[in-house]
Amino acid sequence: MAASMTTTAPTAVRRESRLRENIRLVLSYALLFLIALVFLYPFVLAISTSFKTLPEINERPVALIPQTFTLEGYQRMFALNVGRWAFNSFFIATTVTVSNVLFSALAGYSLTRIAFPGSRFVFLAIIGTMMIPGIVQLIPMFIVLKTLGMIDSYTGLIIPKMVTAFGIFLMAQFFEAIPREIEEAARIDGAGRFRMFFQIVLPLARPAIVALVIFSFQGSWNEFMHPLIVITTNQDLYTLPLGLAFLRGGLGQNLQWNALLAGSMLTTVPMATIFFFFQRYFIEGISYSGVKG
Amino acid sequence: MATGIKQQDRQDAIAGWLFMTPALFLFAFFVFIPIFFAIYFSFTDWNGISPPTEARFIGAENFRVLLLEDGIRRADFFKALKNTAYFSLGVVPMQTALALLLAVVVNQRRLRFKSFFRTAYYFPSITSSIAISMLFLFLYQRNGLVNQVLQAITFGLWQPIAWMADPRGLFHIIFGWFGLTLETAPDWMRANVLSLPVWDWISGPSVALMGIMLLNTWTTIGTMMVIFLAALQDVPREVYEAAEIDGANSRQVFFGVTLPLLRPTLFFVVTLGLIGTFQVFDQVYVMSAGGPAKTTLTVAYLVYRNGFTNSQMGLAAAIALLLFIIIFTLTLVQRRITEGKKE
Amino acid sequence: MKAKHFALLTLLLAVALLLAACPAQPVAPAAPAAAEQPAAPGVINLQLMGWASSDAENVRLQEVVDGWNAANPDIQVTLNLVPDYDTKLQTSLAGGAPPDIFYVDSFRLPDLVAAGALLPIGDQMTDVDDFYPSLREAFTVDNVFYCPPKDFATLALEYNTDLFDAAGLAYPTADWTWDDLRAAAEALTDKDAGVVGFAINPDFARWIAFLYQAGGEVTTPDFSAMTLNTPEALTAMEFYVGLVRDGFAAPASDLDSGWPGEAFGKGRAAMTMEGNWIVPYLKDQFPNLKYGITELPSGPAGKATMAFTVCYGVAANGRNTEAATKVVDYLTGPVGMKAWTDLGLAMPTRQSLREGWLTMYPELEPMLSGAEYARKWQFRPGFADVLDTINSGLQEAFGGLKTPQQVLEEAQAVGEQVLAR
Repeated sequence: MAASMTTTAPTAVRRESRLRENIRLVLSYALLFLIALVFLYPFVLAISTSFKTLPEINERPVALIPQTFTLEGYQRMFALNVGRWAFNSFFIATTVTVSNVLFSALAGYSLTRIAFPGSRFVFLAIIGTMMIPGIVQLIPMFIVLKTLGMIDSYTGLIIPKMVTAFGIFLMAQFFEAIPREIEEAARIDGAGRFRMFFQIVLPLARPAIVALVIFSFQGSWNEFMHPLIVITTNQDLYTLPLGLAFLRGGLGQNLQWNALLAGSMLTTVPMATIFFFFQRYFIEGISYSGVKG
Repeated sequence: MATGIKQQDRQDAIAGWLFMTPALFLFAFFVFIPIFFAIYFSFTDWNGISPPTEARFIGAENFRVLLLEDGIRRADFFKALKNTAYFSLGVVPMQTALALLLAVVVNQRRLRFKSFFRTAYYFPSITSSIAISMLFLFLYQRNGLVNQVLQAITFGLWQPIAWMADPRGLFHIIFGWFGLTLETAPDWMRANVLSLPVWDWISGPSVALMGIMLLNTWTTIGTMMVIFLAALQDVPREVYEAAEIDGANSRQVFFGVTLPLLRPTLFFVVTLGLIGTFQVFDQVYVMSAGGPAKTTLTVAYLVYRNGFTNSQMGLAAAIALLLFIIIFTLTLVQRRITEGKKE
Repeated sequence: MKAKHFALLTLLLAVALLLAACPAQPVAPAAPAAAEQPAAPGVINLQLMGWASSDAENVRLQEVVDGWNAANPDIQVTLNLVPDYDTKLQTSLAGGAPPDIFYVDSFRLPDLVAAGALLPIGDQMTDVDDFYPSLREAFTVDNVFYCPPKDFATLALEYNTDLFDAAGLAYPTADWTWDDLRAAAEALTDKDAGVVGFAINPDFARWIAFLYQAGGEVTTPDFSAMTLNTPEALTAMEFYVGLVRDGFAAPASDLDSGWPGEAFGKGRAAMTMEGNWIVPYLKDQFPNLKYGITELPSGPAGKATMAFTVCYGVAANGRNTEAATKVVDYLTGPVGMKAWTDLGLAMPTRQSLREGWLTMYPELEPMLSGAEYARKWQFRPGFADVLDTINSGLQEAFGGLKTPQQVLEEAQAVGEQVLAR
């Protein structure tokens, strides 16, 4: 804004309007920072509270700095095997992401670049499922997994999530935009479809892949409803959100806020770290998700 | 040459289906087949405990109980539908408007700290709904941050409330200011419509539900903002420059130029919001379990509770199917409006 | 760089496919999988599923189970305590591999019986008549005694002696009446200090004690009709709700607590009505709290309290029901029951253990005495709907959104639908 304000005018009127302009500017920035505070302060308070003792949380629930710094909450969480939950979350998110990217890319490529008979119908059928809300699939998913013996297992947590309609849609959108001449050249060189896909088209799709990796990982890391029905008794298979949600009943009826918030932060921090490193891709990724298509 | 093309077509067909195999296989097992199951079980009395093969086919009985028979089942279903509708009607406009506003502000060319603001506003969107729910449960306590902030900005006028335990409806509270309570309400307000008294239908969202609505808005604004930003960046700069030359002020530019250009995105965001809010589940599971007094019972949570806790899987499947039909219809209506506006 | 990238991708994919290829293989062996372990031929492995409780309780149960395992190398029991129990029990029963032995709350029993999930084993237990008749009844449906009670707890009145001393009031006694309770709650309420006389939640499982004390009933004895829309029930509800509306009592959420026991422990309420579970909780969380326990006050129709009890159920479609029954017989038999209840967390369900337990825990006598006149917490299948309705109604009545009469009418109507199913 400063650039536009550099022209000086020595008259009183000008000075006054410039003053008003400056006040307005300061106020707008103050408002923007205030909004930022509304979005960030809860996290700051949660981190601080996770290091407080229980009596202190009862006494001063909104104080920012802990009077007595304690790891009680985190110790409680680690005693509850939060390390294992984090491993599961990470392992599941990674596997789901890798397979989702690969299978979505394969399907998206096949549906847009190879006009094989039936491709149109398959494409519509798959995209149509994006309309079906997750809650509708909850009960039948449980029945299918039960029939396949996948309840209480990693397979039950991972396999149903290995490809998503959204992933296929995203990749298809991207492949559609790549010029066909590129493949023609390869075909003349005698390349088969596999080589074309892996050596030529896939590397070109990097932006879409990055976006899908992020969506997939984030979705899987935060997923709650699916593990809720897949995991019945095997507590070694808890993911972070699942274990955390159960804590509300599991710690006795007492609300041990330092442990609950420690758990929340342990769930948030890894995702936040990834976010800060790959921020640009997060925001770019969203813009691929259909708006521009 | 002709045979070459034919051979190539055949190879392509094989490759096409081959590339599709993993996705098709997964979709068949985990999407298409389950949908047929869902439909089938909604016509049975399966309790979720005995083997599914023992489920009895009972025709449309579940749907009759949910839609036609006066009783607790129908009352619960419409209560959940009412809560979900209030939730959606509150959250979708709120998050869309705020997200659009923030996007326009953050998109200003001359704004400093742009990436900081963008990051800060987007941050809650990336976190787990469970972790956030836990956090807000803490903030919503009677002596928690939300009450204390409200007290500070009202100079002590605000009376602290236990947000997540407060079943009072917003509209009921407002009616109360004008002396309209259940006791003074006219008789027609006490009459039952679809197993719920009219008075209950017009309750507005309860304080507890508003707590979840605020949380939901807070977490979704970021995503919606980024979607708007992406669309805003596609608007050619010349359009704004032309408007400025014409002497339009910023409000005129927004309503005259920006908003019309963003219309498709706006509808996309609204649809996304509708689908999302009609399925709200995680927050309810952690924060209120449908309470207090069933005022945060959403349709999604009702499906889960009936199916997985109260041993009425068949009934739950029927509710889920009805929810699907509702969302589907809403989306169609939404699309109709979009297309209408485009002309 | 790119080659490396793809190598990694391929590796991860290989892992994923490998995982996909092998059948369900939980990391910690579940009971059926463990049964096939070749290491110990002829050994039957059983899974006992329950809900997690306080640490002390979980540890003691493990010790009792370890005791069995050491003495019976051929039947090994694994303890699995899970959260969100009702859901998990239902899904694991539906999952086709049910736990061999599991906790069954008396309230939930009719649903499980109706679904055919339980094997009736009650009468195969050692010395069946030794169980308190009221507790046996809590696990009896249509004259079949399904499963033996593992322990029980009754509601009693807990009071903060410091707050009573400060107010100059005499401590509650077993012959208190409702009027005494109300007067004391009023005297102990200190708005400025944020302290109320009595912490009670909008909870059917607490109000029902007042219903019985007022001479009311939930249903007729044969469950043919609901009896909630009666003057007795109205008296009980008006008293219970009145305490809150007048400000002498408050639910836990209004006292910045998760449950009434926590509010009581924090000194935000001078009295509360909870069962035995509050004792270890207070000892653990609020070791400095000075409090006493006495029986619940009498209402217009005399004394009443609730007995909450849990049994060890054996799955009807379990693989090793015979071995499971043996284990349950040990756990609820004189030896196992004594080992479990000697910790003092819950009370023995066998009359023969009464005296021995009382000499160890004389201060909990009011809770054990309650067993004489305690009512069972068990109705008909689907009664969760009635429970939900009354809980919601109480919540609204606490907030002044509904009158006690309206709450009862609604509950009556819902109950009639449930009984008619």
